[in-house]
Amino acid sequence: MDKDARPNWGSPMQFVLACVSYAVGLGNVWRFPYLCQMHGGGGFLIPYVIMLVLEGLPLFYMELAIGQKMRLGSIRAWSAISPYLGGVGLASVLTSLYLCLYYNIINAWSFWYLFNSFQPVLPWAECPLNANRTGPEEECARTTPTQYFFYRQTLNISTSIDETGGLHVGQVLCLLLAWILTYLFILRGVKSAGKVVYFTATFPYLVLFIYLIRGLTLHGAVNGIKYMFMPKMEHLADPKTWVNAATQIFFSLGLGFGSLIAFASYNDYNNNFERQAVVVAFINSGTSIFASIVTFAIYGFKATVNFESCLERTRLLLLNTFEMAEELISLDNISDWIEKLSAKYPEQFDSLAGVWENCSLEDELKTAVEGAGLAFIVYSEAIQNMPLPQLWSVLYFFMLLMLGLGSMLGNVTAIITPLRDFEVVARHISIEALSGLVCLFCLLVGLSFTTASGNYWFTMFNDYAASFSLLFVVLVEVIIVSYVYGIRRFEKDVEDMLGRRPSWFWKILLVAVSPLVLASLFIFYIVSYIQGGTPTYQAWDKHLGASVVTEYPIYGQVVIGLLLASTVSCVPLSALYTYCKTKRRPGTRELSVSQEWTLLGWRCEAELRE
Amino acid sequence: MLGTFLVLLYAGASLAQNMCEMGDGYKVRLSIKTALGDQAYAWNENEMFLFRATLAFAMRKHFNDSQYNILVCNETQRVSFHFVVADPRNPHALMEKVQVEKAVRASRHRINSAFLLSDSTLEFLGIPPTLATPFRPATPPWLIAFGVVIGAVCAGIIVMLTSSLVQRRR
Repeated sequence: MDKDARPNWGSPMQFVLACVSYAVGLGNVWRFPYLCQMHGGGGFLIPYVIMLVLEGLPLFYMELAIGQKMRLGSIRAWSAISPYLGGVGLASVLTSLYLCLYYNIINAWSFWYLFNSFQPVLPWAECPLNANRTGPEEECARTTPTQYFFYRQTLNISTSIDETGGLHVGQVLCLLLAWILTYLFILRGVKSAGKVVYFTATFPYLVLFIYLIRGLTLHGAVNGIKYMFMPKMEHLADPKTWVNAATQIFFSLGLGFGSLIAFASYNDYNNNFERQAVVVAFINSGTSIFASIVTFAIYGFKATVNFESCLERTRLLLLNTFEMAEELISLDNISDWIEKLSAKYPEQFDSLAGVWENCSLEDELKTAVEGAGLAFIVYSEAIQNMPLPQLWSVLYFFMLLMLGLGSMLGNVTAIITPLRDFEVVARHISIEALSGLVCLFCLLVGLSFTTASGNYWFTMFNDYAASFSLLFVVLVEVIIVSYVYGIRRFEKDVEDMLGRRPSWFWKILLVAVSPLVLASLFIFYIVSYIQGGTPTYQAWDKHLGASVVTEYPIYGQVVIGLLLASTVSCVPLSALYTYCKTKRRPGTRELSVSQEWTLLGWRCEAELRE
Repeated sequence: MLGTFLVLLYAGASLAQNMCEMGDGYKVRLSIKTALGDQAYAWNENEMFLFRATLAFAMRKHFNDSQYNILVCNETQRVSFHFVVADPRNPHALMEKVQVEKAVRASRHRINSAFLLSDSTLEFLGIPPTLATPFRPATPPWLIAFGVVIGAVCAGIIVMLTSSLVQRRR
């Protein structure tokens, strides 16, 4: 009995840190600041907090309750709760699998940047020289050195998704390292993961704090902070703001992947998950806000540096065109001089039209970037301008690694835990071997993301594999718990675990509010998919030195369709399968056991099964 | 006597000015304040003399022969001017532009250092700079860091696997 006993977290603290480590990921750093900027700065916090309370908290609470009650991974847990709708667990696992395939690429990039930081001159600070050493390389001259380093030297990106190109050796090695490290963390299940999360959950906060101090003391940081916190309330009237707030809460908490159920299944039966759910959800949102303060300080610095170099270039242009002594024009009086000169010599001013740049701090601050572009391009550009850039670079990319690996722990656990619930697997394959097989499989398939067109496939997976399907999964989950299984039985289970029933607050949210919010989001997504036309992606054009919006080819759209269909169809297909099985053999173990559960109560059944 | 001498001198100077303005030379632009800030020196006749001497040095070094006369004109407040190089064998002709370019490129670093400036602050309009090749170490540095980390991680995995194998056998 002891040998087959379910492993437990070393302490409730490990569970909380694991949830924090999983929920606090790259999205907090690279998606939330972008949304804040797009939807009115400080004003965005209002819909964000409202959605956190209405949608994030109850769903988080529900997933932890289910995991802790059933003490099973998502597949068998949902089959136990509702035999016909058990496919929702399978959909979770499949979505987690897709996520694992592409998420570790980001960690590979973090490793690449981290290793490249150990040089006297950061490679993204300067353009490499062209063949006859008269100037920078052409592609790099058309764009910035940081973009060149990301698109050419990190990804070696091709011009469209059709041109596959070869594998990038550096990326392959870094991806290999990322998977080996993931394997090291999860190879003993919660026993090893529980120790790792102490570090992966806390270290990012240390770096964010250091960066906060560094960021606030940078020249021009105040411009960024002012821009962010100036609330522009008119955005609250835009429905997109509320939709994005809801979506961000939803994905940021990592609902629907089955990771939370898996983590909670290793808990003590009477663990107070209610308090932990509130704590983790608020820590996650607090981290987003904290990270966006840091990001906006950095933005402000970068915008100010760019603005000042633009002014400097304009100053030189004026000096050279009008042959004036250098000390006459300084950055302070340049605007006066522009007025004077354009009035006095209009023809000469017109001749400058081709090279004239309009320098504006507002415009620099407005350029909002999200995703890999923010984390790898904008931040590395800001870092190269700081004194002692190697130190800041190492700190920052190590933090990105910790954030990414912490989330990977949850993602891989969401696959391994349900697989190990099947006795045929648990008896014949040890946990080390199973973890190794999963990591190896994901590594081999993930190699396709290291090809020259790999980034386009990555973007496709990032946009489609885990967005719509998750909404569907969680919507089905909350409907099952509130209506199919019944909120009354759920209440009793919670009372069984915690010693008291959930308050009316949780009940109302679970039964009415969250399903409503999720259903509206779901409909909104469908409408925008239909209205959006052909899906497009940003292709890097090396002759232009910029990204170009391109449509996906037919096979690309087919893959997108398959990604969505494969996860969503798990639910009806599995219902059909269960229906056929019970029709053929009415006396099967599953049915009689489930009847037994309803009669005897959950606790007895859990003991019997063990 | 003195009068003739002065007339000849004046004629010579204006002839030189003419050759410079008519000739096909290079425009030079200096940005001293931008480069040196507080430490900037003022541009005056002495500095111009140094420029002509440095350029004569560059020409002499490249062609390995006698003295060159550098003619300067069209000086502006910006600190920019035109220069041409008189051919020492034929004082009324000028050196070809291509030859001047070769000489300047060969001694660019010396010319820059004489004025404490760089390729971007002492510009020869039309002569591209030859940038120094960046130092390329034999092994890319990222590979070294990668090797260290992957070695440590693999060692960790082997340790954990053997310890769990040993535990299971017990």
